Amino acid sequence: MANRYFRCLKFLWFRRFLRFLRFPRSRMVGAPAAVLAAAVLSGCVPVQPVSTSARHEDAYGSPVGSRPVRAGGHLTMGLSSEPDRLDPTTSSSLYTRYVMSAICEKLYDLDAEGRIVPQLAAGLPDVSADGRTVTIPVRDGIVFADGTRFDAAAVRTSLLRHLTLPTSQRTPEMGPVRSIEAPDAHHVVLRYRSPFAPITAALADRAGMIMSPRALAAEGDDFGDRPVCVGPFTFVERVPQTSITVARDPRYYGAADVRLDRITYRIMPDANIRAANLRSGDIQVADTISPQDVDALLREPGLRLLQSGSLGYSGITVNTGNVDGVGSPTRRIDTPMGSDARVRAAFAASIDRATLVNTVFNNWFEPACSPIAPHSAYASAASSACPAFDPERSRRLLARAGVRTPYRVTLQVTNSQDQVRFAQALQASVAEGGFDLRIVPVEYSTLLDVQKRGNFELLMLGWSGRIDPDANTARFLATGSAGNYGGFSSARLDDLLDRAARTTDTADRTELYGRAVAVLQSQNPIVYTYRQRNLTVVSDAVAGVRVYSDGVVRLGGAAFRADGKEG
Amino acid sequence: MTTAAAATAAPDGALPGPGRTHGRALRTLVRNPMGVAGGILLLIVVLAGVLAPLLAPGPPTEVHFSTPFQQPATVGFPLGTDDLGRDILSRVLYGTRASLEVGVLSVLLAVVAGVPLGLLAGYWRWLDALVSRLADLMLAFPFLILAVGLAAINGGGLGNAAIALGIANVPAMIRVVRAETLRLAEADFVLAAHAMDAGPLRVLGRHILPNALSAIIVQATLVMPAAVLGEAVLSFLGLGIQPPDPSLGIMLSDAQNYLLRTPWPGVFPGLAIALICLGFNLFGDALRDALDPRTSGSGERS
Amino acid sequence: MARHLLHRLWQSALTLVLASIVVFAGIRALPGDPATAMAGEEADPATIQAVRARLGLDQPLPVQYLKFAGRALTGDLGVSTRTGTPVGELIRATLPVTVQLAVYAMAVAVLAGTTAGVLAAVFRGRWPEWAANALSLTALSVPTFWLGILAVLYLSVHLGWFPASGYVSPFDHPVRGLYYLTLPALILGLTHSAVLQRQTRASMTGTLSADFVRTARAKGLGGTAVVFRYGLRNSLIVVVTVVGLQLGGLIGGAVVTERIFTLPGIGKLTLDSVFTRDYPVVQAVVLVITASYIVINLLVDVLYTVIDPRIRVSGRSR
Repeated sequence: MANRYFRCLKFLWFRRFLRFLRFPRSRMVGAPAAVLAAAVLSGCVPVQPVSTSARHEDAYGSPVGSRPVRAGGHLTMGLSSEPDRLDPTTSSSLYTRYVMSAICEKLYDLDAEGRIVPQLAAGLPDVSADGRTVTIPVRDGIVFADGTRFDAAAVRTSLLRHLTLPTSQRTPEMGPVRSIEAPDAHHVVLRYRSPFAPITAALADRAGMIMSPRALAAEGDDFGDRPVCVGPFTFVERVPQTSITVARDPRYYGAADVRLDRITYRIMPDANIRAANLRSGDIQVADTISPQDVDALLREPGLRLLQSGSLGYSGITVNTGNVDGVGSPTRRIDTPMGSDARVRAAFAASIDRATLVNTVFNNWFEPACSPIAPHSAYASAASSACPAFDPERSRRLLARAGVRTPYRVTLQVTNSQDQVRFAQALQASVAEGGFDLRIVPVEYSTLLDVQKRGNFELLMLGWSGRIDPDANTARFLATGSAGNYGGFSSARLDDLLDRAARTTDTADRTELYGRAVAVLQSQNPIVYTYRQRNLTVVSDAVAGVRVYSDGVVRLGGAAFRADGKEG
Repeated sequence: MTTAAAATAAPDGALPGPGRTHGRALRTLVRNPMGVAGGILLLIVVLAGVLAPLLAPGPPTEVHFSTPFQQPATVGFPLGTDDLGRDILSRVLYGTRASLEVGVLSVLLAVVAGVPLGLLAGYWRWLDALVSRLADLMLAFPFLILAVGLAAINGGGLGNAAIALGIANVPAMIRVVRAETLRLAEADFVLAAHAMDAGPLRVLGRHILPNALSAIIVQATLVMPAAVLGEAVLSFLGLGIQPPDPSLGIMLSDAQNYLLRTPWPGVFPGLAIALICLGFNLFGDALRDALDPRTSGSGERS
Repeated sequence: MARHLLHRLWQSALTLVLASIVVFAGIRALPGDPATAMAGEEADPATIQAVRARLGLDQPLPVQYLKFAGRALTGDLGVSTRTGTPVGELIRATLPVTVQLAVYAMAVAVLAGTTAGVLAAVFRGRWPEWAANALSLTALSVPTFWLGILAVLYLSVHLGWFPASGYVSPFDHPVRGLYYLTLPALILGLTHSAVLQRQTRASMTGTLSADFVRTARAKGLGGTAVVFRYGLRNSLIVVVTVVGLQLGGLIGGAVVTERIFTLPGIGKLTLDSVFTRDYPVVQAVVLVITASYIVINLLVDVLYTVIDPRIRVSGRSR
């Protein structure tokens, strides 16, 4: 301690210098300046304790309801990433869904409780006893934004496009479809080669977006340049790199409840820029607020936070067999990490998730140990179990596996700041457990390529998550699956996941996924680390903004408050 | 800039002998107060970089989960800590070291690639067209695309930043050396050497290069601070040095994330960059005045 | 003169072709391709294959290049693989932003830089020179992006003097447009004003101590008149050179400023398109940036002969 004081004193000259650095007094710098003044007067400052944030409760936002709002107004939202083509069939960007939620309704939607509810469908699908025939009733008396009638034939056209367009990103989500029929104007029938439970959830996402058949015929592949669907708003214009604007659609079936005249989505990739614009009032809503900015923003008057836990996860994929690229037959990887489940278990045990999440994400995100989110309808005690942080156990396991410590492993991550920061904290955490983690930050597109080719030992990437657990598990873990980048193969896991996908009963599926998670936690082909929260900040001038567990910011029912100031 | 100055200055023929220039230059340099100030600042910066492992209170990448966001003058952390509880003083020292490494490496690259090309282009007219097109291409081609490309292939890093910044500074070096060569090729002593049947390599190596040295050094003093700033920019954009390796640019881009929470982690690395560049600029200016009074105070690439 | 220009044009065309080949090959040498980058986390091999085929990426490279070059010659730069927007439209949307920013920044730099430079030269050895020199040295040494971040934090967020970010076209709303661009232009212009200050000072000092100026002074011409009649005119060539070189670099080099202030300029487009492996956009953007650099330098060359007829065209064949 004495030595520390001495070191501190050596830098006493520095304090004189610091006095010149004092910024104009303000709320933000007031505290540091005051502390600094104290430091100057009294010498060295003792270590300051860390404030820990409390647990965070979900806040999905509430409908306008009886609050006084005014009609009209132009809402601006800061969007964290530029959407790709506004085409539900070929789009793969998540942020495209934010814009689409205002202009392109789906057969099904989520509600605040995470349940699937009909939107353009007239009711939940009717599944035959053998699970191979799914009948969807569609609503009547609805027109698309271009005046075309919405009916079963239009639904069939869109679903077929999702299924068969060569460049469709939806094909895998649709499952083993044999045929799609529209026997009458009010029913669409999907016939399957084998039962496919995840279809309802898929139809509550982009695969359920229905496009105007007339626009499809006119635009073809260019539909995304001028999308026409059913929705509270209709597409107006897109300024590349800058913004997308939509306007109220008078033909919308629920037009009476739509208050806003226009919404502009302004593209602002930097989190702190979104925060600055929220403070200055230039935008009223912003998504994906950085955990570093939330606390500061919430101290601002007139801003409030909507938050929901993500259905996805962030995890570290261990390469256990991807040698020749994903899709090729897997081969044994002769490293302790690739071939010995004990070493992977050691790695999993050496991750202090709670501390990492607290340090790197200000405790706004949550530790995750499984691909099934705890608030998912399919979560159970088994699927939410989490092996404890135990560096001792990690070292024991490594010793038992005959691995010399520190065992050097290489982790590739995207070069985005959050990821690299997490990786650096992880490095410090696993060092305790006997691992010498080398971090290699790689640009995102390169990392996707690396992942596909299998040129990695450990690789950290997030998955945004889907409503149906099948899309969060089988896609990445089933033998030979297109997303099985680690080349993992386990007959027991394959069997559990396959049975879960064929079963339509929720309780049965929940039980199967719980058992699958147990296999995952003993084999650790993917070591799950944390789960994001969707953090959306909204100005008090606006009511009716909703964010559910899919993270999509729904502005369709938003309005400016009558008592609030103009935004 | 320098090229323009050198080119317009080219016609006056008188050339001082190389030996005398350097002796006089040193005296001029020592008498210039700005140069002395720059020299001292530079000495401090270089010592800080070279001795970083000795001066730093701890390893720059050591994470302290229990003490994030400590303010400056905290016990054990003279400049405070960042979001992961890493000591900012250690990181600034190691970051300075990395900045200097990038600077030196990119100067070396600019010299190694630019000087021979400039000599060749200035000496042989037929090569001139080719080399000048190459230089044109390098000047006109967006430098960032090059940096992104290199980062995507190599995964970034210190060497990567040095290569990108070195290449960006090659064309200016080519032009300076080429202009000097053109000027010197007409000088009496070179013509005399030709008359004595000296081969082209001998003429270039023994007569032209030593006399072009002043211009090369002047150009190098311009590249150095530009490279230090360039490294910060590249690392800020995620294209230069990659974490966990410490870099002043990375510290700045990290700090930008939590600037709303505490401004300190963003202040010190910025100051360090400014001090490094100030040292080089002051010293470089004085050196330039001393070596080549004609181009005093002129020309830099930013 | 005409022959010289023709020669320069030919050289420029050659440089452009070289640049197009370098970027075409270079971007394809990077790991990943547009299909994988677009698919992102939802990579389905069959879809990726279909997207590759649709983009023509399954053809041999020389064929792809010739197709690209042929279409580019007719003015068709293709469509963005990511958003499907025609590349020409993207450039028409982003290039003006960067040009406006660059011109504004250069105007700031010329105004501040030459004033400080003239002051430093006229008051040689007295405090204005020291002040001007110290300012320019500081401006040269401080990382501008750091200043930009601090400026956003204090001037925009805390004091609310400037908008934190965003862009409004000065052609639609002249006052608001300029207001939005002011802070970025100030920050971006700072370094360049320092360069200009030093160049102007050097050139003015040289001119003011030249024989013909001393003669003019001896003949009784006043100080101000000397400065303006001889000093500034002779410094003009330096200013034009510097402005030309820096402006050329700014078109592709304003990316950090664009990023900090989220201006939808061409620099940002460049970075984004490389990250998403948007081949057509990268190719076109590099061509546009290279071409604007070349054009600006050609203009500077022509301006030389206008400003100072003494400069022999043949002597500047670089």
